[in-house]
Amino acid sequence: MSWLVEPWTWGAFMARGALAATLVAVPCAVLGVFLYLRRMSMLADALAHIALPGIVVAWAISGGLHPGAMLAGAVGVGLAATWGIEAISRRARVRSDAAIGIVFTALFAAGIIAVSTVARDVHIDTDCVLFGDLLAVSDDTLTLLSLLAPASLLAVVLGWRWLAVTSFDPRFAAAVGVPVVAVHYALTTTVTAVAVAGFEAVGAVVPIALLVLPAATAHSLTHRLTSMVAVAVAHALLASFGGLYVAVWFDVTPAGAIAVVGGLLYGLARIAMRVGSHTLVAGSTHTPGPVDAGRSVA
Amino acid sequence: MTGAILAERTLEFVTFEYAFAARALVASVLVGALCGLVGTFMVLRRMSLIGDAAGHATLPGVVGAFLVTGSKAMAPLLAGGLGTALLATWVVERVAGGRRTRPDAAIAVSLAVFFGLGLVLLSIAQRSPTAAQAGLNGILFGNAAGVTTPQLVTLSVIALTLAALVLALVRPLTVATFDPSFARAAGVPLHLVRAGVTLALTLAVVVSIHAVGVVLVAAMLITPPSTALLVTRRMPSALAVSAGIGAASGAVGAWISFVVDGVSTGPAMVLVASAAFALAWVFAADSPVRLPRRAARVTS
Repeated sequence: MSWLVEPWTWGAFMARGALAATLVAVPCAVLGVFLYLRRMSMLADALAHIALPGIVVAWAISGGLHPGAMLAGAVGVGLAATWGIEAISRRARVRSDAAIGIVFTALFAAGIIAVSTVARDVHIDTDCVLFGDLLAVSDDTLTLLSLLAPASLLAVVLGWRWLAVTSFDPRFAAAVGVPVVAVHYALTTTVTAVAVAGFEAVGAVVPIALLVLPAATAHSLTHRLTSMVAVAVAHALLASFGGLYVAVWFDVTPAGAIAVVGGLLYGLARIAMRVGSHTLVAGSTHTPGPVDAGRSVA
Repeated sequence: MTGAILAERTLEFVTFEYAFAARALVASVLVGALCGLVGTFMVLRRMSLIGDAAGHATLPGVVGAFLVTGSKAMAPLLAGGLGTALLATWVVERVAGGRRTRPDAAIAVSLAVFFGLGLVLLSIAQRSPTAAQAGLNGILFGNAAGVTTPQLVTLSVIALTLAALVLALVRPLTVATFDPSFARAAGVPLHLVRAGVTLALTLAVVVSIHAVGVVLVAAMLITPPSTALLVTRRMPSALAVSAGIGAASGAVGAWISFVVDGVSTGPAMVLVASAAFALAWVFAADSPVRLPRRAARVTS
């Protein structure tokens, strides 16, 4: 089992990388469950991409990557993008899925042009956008993540009932006076903040993988909200640490490895459920019915 | 950058002083128009984000083909990209077809895993000692200036053939998109149309990777058609406007990328297309052509 232990003896980078990965993975997994239940998984894709313009805004405010400016940038572009997607998809002649694609690609393109021209000294090049640099995380990123991860989890705990009721039955929630729109904006802004904070460490792709794959895996395995969140967190941690080991042992990028390991775990969960349901009802053609809103989660 | 340099470079660009700039212009315009054409059907069929997944999913195929062949020859790279992009759309259908995962999540799952695999392969390719992998990064954000003449020929043949096919089949495609039950009654094979649109979309993505790049190709498939659908309500004019906006974005994007140092073609094209959408969104606001049909004016 020395392959499990040895990387940790090579220096602090493994511990720092694991810490950063954990601090991104846990909030992403928890927030991703709610995005998933709201059928907004593709918004995860959009929010992870707009982390880049968020960082450019932070750089424009502070001239560097000060944690406070990063948060301000994240909140700014998060709110702007959410509003933009809502405003565009309200028009009957624009498809709502197209609205997501229009807004985030425009912001992402602007971010790419900014980091390759005026914002060159922001030391985030296009390679970093894709790969991140999990094995050389900066102190600023670790500080920001270790403040933001607990804060976002606390926000989820405090807003749990509102998040749950708006995810399952937004009309009922609105009828009983829950601020559905405010909850939606708070959720998307928190996701953007986590994506911005983790950007330097993991790039744009890992947040997508850690927002969507854990929730999808959890939904294959369980139907209760609390156990979905628990399974999602377990999946995200397994994927992150698995990806980290794959990265150090095969000398590949941790960002890609985390997404691939997460995908394998999702595939395993799907296969396990299929095999499980066949053995339980051996010989019958019964398959699990479509999940319905009345019975349990979703 | 001063105005003088800008003007000088613009002059160089419009007079085709450099062959590579001319090739970049032709490639960007062709790709923009093709994406606008194919994307219109994709957007109307609510498959926009499948285009995003397909775009990202070309990366593992292209880099994988490079790792196997060790060269940047066009044919294997395109074949590899086409293979993994088709596989990704198949995964989306399979995962969404299973009852345990939401269809929107299925697209995101496929995108994240395929693109993650692409990044892993790319990090292996970047490790290789040969200089051959230099320029592989161009397919991420598009480097139309790097398009060689043989590449341009291949690209043009595929793009023009695909565009001709779409135009030849425009009537059954339109009917199947707007009124599937009528189309079925009229004998249009719907599953074949769906497979055909997916194939066309994947091919458009694959030929676009040199000019636009895998990351932002979805924008060229989504934004020009959405703009066209804001300003027109007839299918033939929507197709024409969309292809026109795509081509114009390609041309302006290629020019921006030529005159401003460090700007890749892909983001430049996408920003131009986004600006066109923003203009249409603002100025088409109260235009009566926005109303889908007369009945809507009464009810709304």
